[in-house]
Amino acid sequence: MEAAGIPAGQALKPRRSEVVSEFISKYGLIAILIAFPAYYGIQDLIDDGNLTRIGNNLADGLSNGAIWALVALGYTLVYGIIELINFAHGEIFMIGAFTSFALWAPLGLNPDTGTVALVLGLLVTLIAAMLVSGSLNVMIERVGYRPLRGAPKLAPLITAVGFSFILQNVGILWLGASQRGVPDLIESQKELVNIVGISLSRGDLLAFAVTVPLVLLLTTFVGQSRLGKAMRATAQDPEAAKLMGINVDTTISLTFLLGGLLAGAAGLINTLYQTNVWYFQGFTAGLIAFTAAVMGGIGNLRGAVLGGLIIGCIQQISDNRIGNEWTPAVIFAYLVLIMVFRPQGLIGEETREAG
Amino acid sequence: MSTIQDLRRRRWAPYLLPAVVLVGVAVFPLFRPPLDGFMDDCILALAYVVMALGLNLVVGFAGLLDLGYVAFYAFGLMTMGWWASDFYTGVNGEEGIHIGVSGFAATLPGIHLSFLIIVVGAILVCAVAGAIIGLPTLRLRGDYIAIVTLAFGEIIGRTFANGDEITIFNDYKLSNGRQSISPIDQIDLPLLDPFDSALNLRPYYWCIFAIVLVVLFVNFRLRDSKLGRAWIALREDEVAAASMGVPLVKTKLLSYATGGAFGGISGAFLGAYFSSVNANQFQFGFSIFILAMVILGGLGSIWGVVIGAVLLAFVNNRLIPDVLDQGFVGDKLRDIGLNFSFTEISFGVFGFILVIMMVLRPEGILPERRRQMELTEGIGDTESVFEARG
Amino acid sequence: MRVRWLAVLSCLVGVFALGLAACGDDDDSGGSSSGGDISGNELTIYSSLPLQGTSKGQSEAVINGEKLALKEVGGKVGKYTIKYVSLDDSTAQNPGTADEGQTAQNARKAVQDENTIFYLGEFNSGGTKVSLPILNKANIPQISPSNTYVGLTTNDPGSEPGEPDKYYPAQKRTYARIVPTDTIQGAALATIMKEDGCTSVNIFNDKTTYGAGLAKNVEQSAKDEGLTVKGNDGTDKNAPNYRSLAAKITADCFVGSGVTGENYVQVFKDVAAACPDCKLYGPDGVAEAAFTDPKQGGIPADVGARTKVTVATLSPSEFEKQGISAAVKFFDDFKAEYGVAQPDPYAIYGFETMDLALDTLKAVGDKANDREAVRNQLLTKTKGRESVLGTYDIDQNGDTTLTDYGLYDIKNGQLEFVKAIKVGGG
Repeated sequence: MEAAGIPAGQALKPRRSEVVSEFISKYGLIAILIAFPAYYGIQDLIDDGNLTRIGNNLADGLSNGAIWALVALGYTLVYGIIELINFAHGEIFMIGAFTSFALWAPLGLNPDTGTVALVLGLLVTLIAAMLVSGSLNVMIERVGYRPLRGAPKLAPLITAVGFSFILQNVGILWLGASQRGVPDLIESQKELVNIVGISLSRGDLLAFAVTVPLVLLLTTFVGQSRLGKAMRATAQDPEAAKLMGINVDTTISLTFLLGGLLAGAAGLINTLYQTNVWYFQGFTAGLIAFTAAVMGGIGNLRGAVLGGLIIGCIQQISDNRIGNEWTPAVIFAYLVLIMVFRPQGLIGEETREAG
Repeated sequence: MSTIQDLRRRRWAPYLLPAVVLVGVAVFPLFRPPLDGFMDDCILALAYVVMALGLNLVVGFAGLLDLGYVAFYAFGLMTMGWWASDFYTGVNGEEGIHIGVSGFAATLPGIHLSFLIIVVGAILVCAVAGAIIGLPTLRLRGDYIAIVTLAFGEIIGRTFANGDEITIFNDYKLSNGRQSISPIDQIDLPLLDPFDSALNLRPYYWCIFAIVLVVLFVNFRLRDSKLGRAWIALREDEVAAASMGVPLVKTKLLSYATGGAFGGISGAFLGAYFSSVNANQFQFGFSIFILAMVILGGLGSIWGVVIGAVLLAFVNNRLIPDVLDQGFVGDKLRDIGLNFSFTEISFGVFGFILVIMMVLRPEGILPERRRQMELTEGIGDTESVFEARG
Repeated sequence: MRVRWLAVLSCLVGVFALGLAACGDDDDSGGSSSGGDISGNELTIYSSLPLQGTSKGQSEAVINGEKLALKEVGGKVGKYTIKYVSLDDSTAQNPGTADEGQTAQNARKAVQDENTIFYLGEFNSGGTKVSLPILNKANIPQISPSNTYVGLTTNDPGSEPGEPDKYYPAQKRTYARIVPTDTIQGAALATIMKEDGCTSVNIFNDKTTYGAGLAKNVEQSAKDEGLTVKGNDGTDKNAPNYRSLAAKITADCFVGSGVTGENYVQVFKDVAAACPDCKLYGPDGVAEAAFTDPKQGGIPADVGARTKVTVATLSPSEFEKQGISAAVKFFDDFKAEYGVAQPDPYAIYGFETMDLALDTLKAVGDKANDREAVRNQLLTKTKGRESVLGTYDIDQNGDTTLTDYGLYDIKNGQLEFVKAIKVGGG
């Protein structure tokens, strides 16, 4: 079953074998995804007699996954509209993280700051990080991708990689090449609430507190507003959109802006959560978030969020059970599995052409 | 002028320039001291030429975008690590297995095989690895092939980087993890003394030059063979190729396997040359480095890729650290008071080169003949993935 | 057709021209000899240190120490002028430690330079594993200011089978170091933990040659002191955090056997959070400002208050107390030259590395351009040497006979000397 578009106007009823393989691929993927936590869940029941450990893994996974969801949305938005994997998106996330850290010292934020000042300061940082990331993304699109709109797929892909390297180097020059510890402003690991043994820390709640509103805002915007409609139209068929009087260039820039804003927010949350920043964090984050986007169905907003949450859980379980040096390998193995068995992802609709 | 035109009419004219160049390249070590910094860079450049030619097979000929070429480099290096070092000290009761080696290497425990045997081994391992990597991509197109190969490159890289946790047959670790496997045996060809990279680089140079010649020959023959034409057909229009009877699966897998084999040969050579194998090098950036060479030279163009590889290798190893940083540019900047090192921005410079390359001349320095024909004579096609901009 | 020819030709010519032009600035002379005879009166001393990432500050201190020693002899030994070249063995992808590919390149560069008489490096034991065999074949004497891994010079516990001979393919010793090995550091850490009342210990190591080797030494020494070793786990540099790993800690003391550059700031932070009552110990790999100073991204002050660090150097006042006047003079000179009163612990090691090299050259007089004579002097005749570190010999393995390790607290983001640890024979 090729990921290339099967023409939408298929008049014949699908053959039995096609129905079966569709069934297998969809539920097969779900089965593989569930198998992982289920296996460890059963192990927990045997070892501890309760599901606390896997529950904690999943709770951490969901909050981590919220961060990935934000980044994955950026990937999915861009891919949906111009069918380009924006390799530099991970670095946009990294620059957002760096910007937020850089602003803490001037704003006088440190672990001893009072709550109100802290909240206000972080809000300012959030907005600043979002704006920086957003504008950076728009700039990259103008400079790198727009001239190559008509070129074959390879050209913007390599350009994206080139920008990724340039931004990584900016990171190196900014804060050095090693990981850089960051003050733990919100005591992110401090337990805030404990439900049936599953402990939720401040960092977890922060992740949700920021992600949920942003995602809701985004879906409302894309779903309801005029510009959102323009985005969806361009994603569906740019030629027709142009004929309808939509300014495709502006719409694309807007998409990049939105993606960048979300990545910037994700950068701040990630910094608060991990208490360190690194120029290379964008690369790994980018690939993980891209896996999430593909898993949910690239081009599909709900898919990106779902994929992000799932990938977050897989990541946490792998970190905790197998060891965090193996987690990237595990996640990429999942990526390969998805690509082989169900390239359109869990929810995915057929994009114009999967390639 | 007329002499040149006369020359051009001879039958052997197209071979004149390459022959002159090759002879020049072959003799040039005799004019340099045996331990020469410039020769060091040339050896590296030639090794990268082999890899770039391998990737050119996959991306240029067959049109399959492979972003995980570092996997084959990894396998090539690791075969040296396994079979030409004292990594497996416990083998044969601490006596070690020695086949075809002499000198210092023959005294150490561990597995020590002759370089030629290891090259054959590397070819086999990489070919199989290539086929396995290629399998999931058979039904995918374009971007998705890129992502799957990238994922494989990362999986294999991480597996070797954490290979000290995986043990086979109880005692034998897969790799030495983040630590290097060192020292690796020097190259020991039958009938010759073992090379010694601390005393004389010329044997290494001629060895890799010979490998380059063989690889070039294989490439030219492949390009004009049935398989080569099948690859090009595959690249231009997969559906049409299939309907003309080109066996898609076999053709695709063969392209990965062959391209990977070249990577393995070069990796094995570099393992001996560096005298150490370290899993830290298996990064995505390396795949992009080789891909950039192929694109810079011109996708599918054999001589173009050679030039692209040599150029980028020199930019990376010589231009940035030696000319810009330690040379007059760096000194001038330090005189002004700007205290920064060009090597710190080599990443960014490389990325910048990539961007400029794609925006200005995506078809490369020496585009393939077929493409040129398409462009000039207007033989366009609708849906080729890599058509050059007019 | 013609355009094609021209394109190819010009490209190739361009490449060769570039290479040859760049070559013109190189040190390669047109001579055909290799290794051994140096003609002319200029000798090169290479220094190879990690200059990127968290090691930057520390390496710069070492370089400043080396330069100070060179300056004090006026850049000349006898009739020979000394040229000093500082190389970086780290890369952007692998900062804060020796990158093995880059290290091999540095070693090859030294070998390709005919005037090389000494190679001062590496800083990290894993790097020396790569450069030593290359330099050994070319008979270039090598001194490290800081390597502590046991297997580089002996096959004592903590080394792998086949070591140290596999690093000496020319089958003679060319390598010396001026810091005591990890056999002693492991014993020092165990002694301190016992003194502080630990009953059990968890060890993390950064999986490098140094970190993994030291962890083995600590494990052995801890067992000898009667402590229970609850685990010795490897950490991955690329992980964003180590909370899952830290959650496995059950002992009352923790040793983080790694270098700052392998993300050990984050390791200590996560362990401190997971085990609020544990006592934390770090080796010389974390004895730098990048680790201790929160303003430079190091561990926060509350974690620093619980951490103790061992490093093979003493404070200026302790040197004075032990009567090593050369050390006191060094600190004064260093302050006069660079304006830093409390330099990084390794600055004095940089000084001594260069000082040892220069004194060795001086001792052989006119034969200072003969690598074999210099090597022989360094490794067989360095006895009773009075230096800024005290009086010591270099034994036949290339190890120093000094055994002092200093214990340091972390106060105000800096290392503060507590006392010298006397270890009972390692």
